[in-house]
Amino acid sequence: MKHKSWYLTIGGILTACMLAFTAAGLFWTPYSPTAMSAPDRNAGPSAAHPFGCDQLGRDILSRTLEGAGSTLTIALAVLAVGFVFGLLIGALCGYYGGAADALVMRLCDAIAAFPSVLLALVVLAVIGPGKYNVIGALGVLFIPSFARLVRGEFLKYRDRDFVRSARLMGVSDLRIIFVHILPNTWPTLLSGLTIGFNNAVLGEASMSYLGIGVNPTEPSLGYMLKEAQGFLFTTPWYTAFPAAIVILLILGVGLIGEGVRERMGVAS
Amino acid sequence: MAEPIVRIDHLNSWYGRGKGRRQVLRDVSLKLAPGEVLGIVGESGSGKSTLAKCVLGMVTDIAGTLEVNSPRPQMVFQDPYGSLNPAKTVGWILEEPLRAAGVTDRAERRRRVGELLPLVGLEVGHLARRPAQLSGGQRQRVAIAAALIQGSKLILLDEPVSALDVTLQAQILRLLAELKEKLGLSYLFISHDLAVVYQLCDRVAVMTGGEIVEEGDVDTVYDHPRHPYTKKLLDASLALD
Ligand SMILES: Nc1ncnc2c1ncn2[C@@H]1O[C@H](COP(=O)(O)OP(=O)(O)OP(=O)(O)O)[C@@H](O)[C@H]1O
Ligand SMILES: [Mg+2]
Repeated sequence: MKHKSWYLTIGGILTACMLAFTAAGLFWTPYSPTAMSAPDRNAGPSAAHPFGCDQLGRDILSRTLEGAGSTLTIALAVLAVGFVFGLLIGALCGYYGGAADALVMRLCDAIAAFPSVLLALVVLAVIGPGKYNVIGALGVLFIPSFARLVRGEFLKYRDRDFVRSARLMGVSDLRIIFVHILPNTWPTLLSGLTIGFNNAVLGEASMSYLGIGVNPTEPSLGYMLKEAQGFLFTTPWYTAFPAAIVILLILGVGLIGEGVRERMGVAS
Repeated sequence: MAEPIVRIDHLNSWYGRGKGRRQVLRDVSLKLAPGEVLGIVGESGSGKSTLAKCVLGMVTDIAGTLEVNSPRPQMVFQDPYGSLNPAKTVGWILEEPLRAAGVTDRAERRRRVGELLPLVGLEVGHLARRPAQLSGGQRQRVAIAAALIQGSKLILLDEPVSALDVTLQAQILRLLAELKEKLGLSYLFISHDLAVVYQLCDRVAVMTGGEIVEEGDVDTVYDHPRHPYTKKLLDASLALD
């Protein structure tokens, strides 16, 4: 049976488009995202302003471009924090096991028992809003789920014969962990990363929407949605375009993750 | 007689801790001389793999004498699917033991891999492949090459041909016999197949319930089994033929 997967293709194209959009926004916006223009207040989409303008006459395309860049940067930073520490903790716990592993995993279970966005909310309410606080809070709270994912993979591999024979040959533990076992876990980790990325995007958007995320000087897509909600009926495009970018980005990355899982299922 | 390469005297071993501690090997004694092939036969769960693990230092809860007079003994496992890293190429897998042994010069590693390849019946073209792209027989050749490349003289073979079909079994057994002569190796050869043991081994030890119940030259043991368990094994294997 030849089962051709379109998840990876569609997801890849969608993600590439969204990334291109975001990357463009880091270097170029048609107008200044903060320039106000009285005659253009609440203007609908037009040739001059494809996404329309907001209640202050600011160009929504320019603001979306900038917001997407901010959202992506934060999501990637959150992912990096969660992934690097989750990988280290999960790999060591999974490979060595023992009492330290049991203790660390109990702790992870306790943290993971709460939805991470909810916990991040509480943390941010205490430490205050701002880009770096969002990254720190979400990133740290993402560690347990990555750690568990990685640990599961390492448990699966640590008693395989190829690992035993590496030990017999005198390969060091660290090299076994990162050079021998890690490459085998990439498909699973990749699929976990796509889920993590989407949670990070949504997490940041939720924080900013609730007003405890980024500062108004560096608006993200979530912050724009918060701003737009008061004008949902007068300027629906202000909500629609940033929301569409979030949804398409999540959809694209989600499809990639689904495609990777499907590949793995077929391979094994 | 030369100094034995393995000398085991009244060895006992346990798995588990506390209440779950369970004895597996009971008062096992044996010797392996340089250049010799000793077969270990016995039913599943009799402790054959455990004995090999003890020799390799992989079982720590032991009592008795265990002397291994050969640096870095290596093991060839039963399942060539599990014993080769699926994420790596054959070339990488064969170079890795050399890296671990401190051979930092890439050209030198390549040269040594290149020397060993024809000995195990592999070609340069196989080096770029991953284990999934090899046949079962080729994988087992790679596993054997990986065990040999550090220059180890003592090789433990745990059911190395059980996962292969009969023609491949014969090929790999012949390869093992050739390698032994050319490189001066000694084998501890674990198998539940008496016919396979007969082809390769000089001596055989029969295990059951963690004990060695009979040990001697293959011909003597097969022609004049003394222990009832050995007779039972031989009858069972004759019935299969
Ligand atoms: N890591 C382990 N922890 C606890 N018990 C073990 C472990 N490995 C093996 N055992 C037990 O020790 C006994 C001997 O196992 P061993 O693997 O040595 O048998 P074997 O003779 O090699 O069998 P087979 O022919 O099936 O490979 C078995 O009862 C087994 O369940
Ligand atoms: Mg066994």
